[in-house]
Amino acid sequence: MAHVLVVDDEDEVRAALERRLEREGYEVSTASSAAEATTVIRDQTPTFDIVITDMSMEEPDSGLVVLQEAIAHDLFTEVLVLTAYGNVSNAVESMRRGAFDYLEKNSPGVDTYELLIMKMAHALERRRSAVGTMRRLESFSKMMKQ
Amino acid sequence: MRNPERSEIFLRDLNALFLEATFQGGDQDILQKTLDAGMHVLGGTRGFLAIMHHETGELSVRCTAGEGWTEDAKRLRVHLAQENTRGITGHVAVTGEPYFTGNVENDSFHVRYFEDTRSEIAVPIMGPFGRIRGVINIESTEENAFDADDCAHLVALGVAASVHLTMEGFIARETALIEIGKNLTSTVELTELMHKVVDITTEALQFEDCSVFLIDENTNQLILQASRGVLAGNAGEAAYELGDGLTGWVAMHGTPIRLEDPPSDPRWKGRFTEFPSNEIGAFLAVPIISRDRIIGVLRVLRRKSFSPWFSNRFTQTDERVLTTIASQLGAAVENARNFRKLIRSERMAAWGELSAKSAHMIGNRSFALKGDLNELKHLILQLPDSLIKESMTEVLQSMTHGVDKLDELLREFRDFVVATQLTLAEVDFNALIKEVVSESFPKRSPVALKLILDKSLPPIRCDSVKLKRAFSELIENSISFQPEGGDLIIQTSLMSPEDRAEFRLAWSRDFIKVEFKDTGPGVPDDIKKRIFQPFYTSRVKGMGLGLSIVKGIIDAHQGQIIEIGRKGEGAHFVVFLPINNSKL
Repeated sequence: MAHVLVVDDEDEVRAALERRLEREGYEVSTASSAAEATTVIRDQTPTFDIVITDMSMEEPDSGLVVLQEAIAHDLFTEVLVLTAYGNVSNAVESMRRGAFDYLEKNSPGVDTYELLIMKMAHALERRRSAVGTMRRLESFSKMMKQ
Repeated sequence: MRNPERSEIFLRDLNALFLEATFQGGDQDILQKTLDAGMHVLGGTRGFLAIMHHETGELSVRCTAGEGWTEDAKRLRVHLAQENTRGITGHVAVTGEPYFTGNVENDSFHVRYFEDTRSEIAVPIMGPFGRIRGVINIESTEENAFDADDCAHLVALGVAASVHLTMEGFIARETALIEIGKNLTSTVELTELMHKVVDITTEALQFEDCSVFLIDENTNQLILQASRGVLAGNAGEAAYELGDGLTGWVAMHGTPIRLEDPPSDPRWKGRFTEFPSNEIGAFLAVPIISRDRIIGVLRVLRRKSFSPWFSNRFTQTDERVLTTIASQLGAAVENARNFRKLIRSERMAAWGELSAKSAHMIGNRSFALKGDLNELKHLILQLPDSLIKESMTEVLQSMTHGVDKLDELLREFRDFVVATQLTLAEVDFNALIKEVVSESFPKRSPVALKLILDKSLPPIRCDSVKLKRAFSELIENSISFQPEGGDLIIQTSLMSPEDRAEFRLAWSRDFIKVEFKDTGPGVPDDIKKRIFQPFYTSRVKGMGLGLSIVKGIIDAHQGQIIEIGRKGEGAHFVVFLPINNSKL
């Protein structure tokens, strides 16, 4: 079962996401701030497969902190950034720093939850193939040494 | 009675007068001293010096000398228009030539004021550009008291008086300009300032009447701000369209008009004048310019001259002075407007922050709500089919629709708040238009789109995301107003010189012009002025911020947007964007 961390400072948002993701069969942990997320991420072994974080929490760019922490802990953790107040420059910045994608919470006519589930499936696929490649590389180099 | 050493004394007096007139221009005594010197050298019985009032066409006594003056006599007024009562003094004022007679009984010009007068001499005091400023008049109880030699002496004194009055005029002008300048920096209240300028201009600069018009940014009309005399009561009401009448012409073309007999000019409309059209002798109007834009007109009028020999025309100097005042006024108006803008922008900043926060919070709630609805949908789907399930599904759809609406409103609100926060980059404008069209114009639409792109357009610095937002609004508008089909023409071009005049674009910049013209119902005249205001909508969709967002974005680019379509011929939006936007 893939393990997901949901970071958002709004209780309702965390609850809605948690419920939906659990329905999809994910194991869900939550954090309500970038600071809390940082601790949760550090203490988590094995690492989270996916981290979903809000952009604007304590600071307008708190999402970037979460992103950095997640990737520093495990390069292959996929991070999805959510933003309520469409801020393109922050979103672009998060892509530049290695986020899998960013989603606007409120995009008229778009069911963001459905979109999120699809994106997560993609993210998970990428993580698996990256981890798989890594493993094959490791076993290959082990073989070479022998 | 002639003074034997008169030449010597006269020259000494005259020199002293010239020196005083030149270096102590403000001293009132000089005119009296001039008259006294005249009495002295000519040996007259009595004399007076009268000053011309061009406003009323009257000469009034300023100083007197000699015997027989009563208080009544000192209040003497000579009205130049009345030929039979204006006398020798009036005759000289009208002709500008000296005149003397040795026997008033036989003189056709003489009018009797004093019983004992036998001889009379009068010389003009001329002002710059042939304007009469006054007359010196000396009388004697002796017959044939004056000759050509006397006349020459008195003419010289007339010149001294003229030097004095001219200097006085210069000093008054200087004081007036300094006074206006001082007021400009210390007065933030525009209306008060306009009144001061009008007063000072009229009084100190001897423009007989003066009016200030400013262009209203919403209606593009010239509105009277301040005036003297009969027009004063029309401030805020009297309005010229751009190009309408002489005043409107100046506002449209940005060039001064200086004319004699303005009613004979084909542009003349005579709609709002400070005195009756048939009394106006000269017209001078200069544009008020602020930051390269014509923002109004300062105009002055003079009455017709009472003398067929001298006109009351305005001179090059008058025009220069008025232009100086207008440019100071332009700076002051800008000052006051900037001050107002500053207050508004501070308010907007506070409002923007508040809005951003609320939009964020509402957005999060709406997102959570959507999650709940999503979950509800999932739950309902698991129920066995029934009428209740059907009804629940309907209610759910309605709720989902409602939340979607909420998101739309939120987006509109957010776009409105951030409309003026630009991120600039150099952009190929035609490519931008093509992108907007491919993103916003539906693949299948009853509306036929025609793109006319001018390939010679230079790149412009702009915020392409925001501009696309603005243009897509115009496209969506046009489509929504033509549900049965029609045409939408989007055309880009470089502005023409006529555009600059017609739409009052800044002189120092060139603009790209983009037009959105359709064959829909168009914008009725009575709402044209309101369509760009926030919360104005004739559509059901959104909260009516659409066109105000468009205007906000165009304004932030220091561009302009206008709707110029005629009712029944479709809507026609014209947008101008500056090419060289280095000031942003």
